[in-house]
Amino acid sequence: MAKLYQEQYVWRLPVRWYHWINAITVTLLFLTGIYIATPIFVPAVGEATWYHSMAWIRYIHFGSAFIFIANFLFRMYWGLFGKDPYARFAGFKPWKPLWWGQPFRDQLASYFFLRKDEPNYCGHNPVAALTYFLFIFSGSLFMIITGLAMYSESNPGGFLDKLFGWVIPIFGGSMRVHTVHHLVAWAFVVFLVIHLYAIVRHDIMDKSSVTSSMITGFKTRVEECPEYAD
Amino acid sequence: MKEKQTYAEIMEARGIDRREFMKYCSLLSVYLGLGAAGLPRMLKAMETKPRIPVIWLHGLECTCCTESFIRSAHPVVADIVLNMISLDYDDTLSAAAGHQLEAVRKQIMKEYKGQYILAVEGNAPTKDNGVYCMVAGDSFLNLLKETAADAMAVISWGTCASFGCVHNAKPNPTGAQPVHKLISGKPIVNVPGCPPIAEVMTGTIAHLLTFGKLPELDRQGRPKAFYGTRIHDKCSRRSYFDAGMFVESFDDEGAQKGWCLYKMGCKGPTTYNSCSSMKWNDGVSFPIQSGHPCIGCSEPNFWDNGPFYTRLANVPFVGTDSNADRIGLVAVGAAAAGVAAHAIGSAIKKKSDDNGTEE
Repeated sequence: MAKLYQEQYVWRLPVRWYHWINAITVTLLFLTGIYIATPIFVPAVGEATWYHSMAWIRYIHFGSAFIFIANFLFRMYWGLFGKDPYARFAGFKPWKPLWWGQPFRDQLASYFFLRKDEPNYCGHNPVAALTYFLFIFSGSLFMIITGLAMYSESNPGGFLDKLFGWVIPIFGGSMRVHTVHHLVAWAFVVFLVIHLYAIVRHDIMDKSSVTSSMITGFKTRVEECPEYAD
Repeated sequence: MKEKQTYAEIMEARGIDRREFMKYCSLLSVYLGLGAAGLPRMLKAMETKPRIPVIWLHGLECTCCTESFIRSAHPVVADIVLNMISLDYDDTLSAAAGHQLEAVRKQIMKEYKGQYILAVEGNAPTKDNGVYCMVAGDSFLNLLKETAADAMAVISWGTCASFGCVHNAKPNPTGAQPVHKLISGKPIVNVPGCPPIAEVMTGTIAHLLTFGKLPELDRQGRPKAFYGTRIHDKCSRRSYFDAGMFVESFDDEGAQKGWCLYKMGCKGPTTYNSCSSMKWNDGVSFPIQSGHPCIGCSEPNFWDNGPFYTRLANVPFVGTDSNADRIGLVAVGAAAAGVAAHAIGSAIKKKSDDNGTEE
């Protein structure tokens, strides 16, 4: 059977910008975060006025955190109010049984090798959408709330403290908040491993060019064409 | 018991002159964060209000709060406040004992119904009807509830009474619970620390005695004046933290030069207390200044956030003590292994699909 390949503009510029800003800030946040917990470059001699390594790493962590938050909020806006059919959250309704219906099962079956062909989706496939919701939406929201709560500790009674200070007693103290923030940070690495594998695999298995689509915006739609009989 | 003397009268009777009295009041108003404007209010309260009796109970604890309290660096504060208390009821410091002492407690509860202050050192075990801490033939749990019922306010001394400390650390075999979880409907102030700083204790009690109400509290019921900021933010070694100059072991050069103890497990960045500003023993020093990392003794769950000498806290993970990084690496390893297995499956599938197409 022959296949028909058709290019389709799926990811508009705001979505692609969001993706790459998110990718860069998450990478920076993870690396600087791990360094803050375990600083390794300790000078052997000197005065405290000579160095600023920890201050700089923390500055990068907090700086990228605020860019990350702004980017996250923009994506929320774009998903809720943007006129972009592939980036809207309107279709994501996991509380409705219908959402878990055929498209979701087809995709899951394909991932478990229970189906021969690869289902095609223009936007996110439903299984991918669910992982984005769990890791990128819920994970980010968790990191933003716990992160801002810890950030607010340096200015007790300040604006952020009033907004997010309640988080700290909920976890049973500042140390606990640090620990859960650190643990959930690793979830992003777990996600990254799966995400990178999944996009490369899709490119090989169903030729939908998802990998390059995040740069060009074009995904490839694949259709089976019936061959003409002689 | 003599009727309703004011604090000023008690001090005068004890031979404290006006000048000393003024010094004491100014000191207190500064401690309490009231500033210079608070002094006239403090003076007025001291001169007009009758003294309030204090009942000081001991539950599951180590008496380090009392030890700290009686070592208050300012003798005037200690003398006045301590005498006001020991006159009434404190089973560690009172001369009386046994039935005699219990009679005093009952008498105060009756005569000053709704007017006395209950200071609790330690917490109460709740399992098996509280048999794991018995006082005067009854469980401490009952004693605490009985005494709190008619109290004007409750002071929870130390981390034991405030958050549970070692007694409700995992696995908490006696079901120990901090005071605020056992008593409701009363104003409660938490004064955590193991022990709390003596001046913090006298400051808190003096505020209650003079103004008849609790000082301003934060979200965890602690006086804002003393527990408003982290030790880290006022630490004398903070510049070494920002510079990234850390002690790596207790006898290295950094340790000798007084670098930051963050990598030695210092809990200063997550601990709210006044150690780095008020210090201990008349402002002589505090743990970090003396070269030891803060263990976070005034924080809830501090025994379960250990070990004391590593930055990352232990996290229980499939029956072992692990930490966030180790768990993270295991999770990433598992994801990588899953992905590799899936990749092999996909390769086999693709091969069979391709073969199928060719046929």
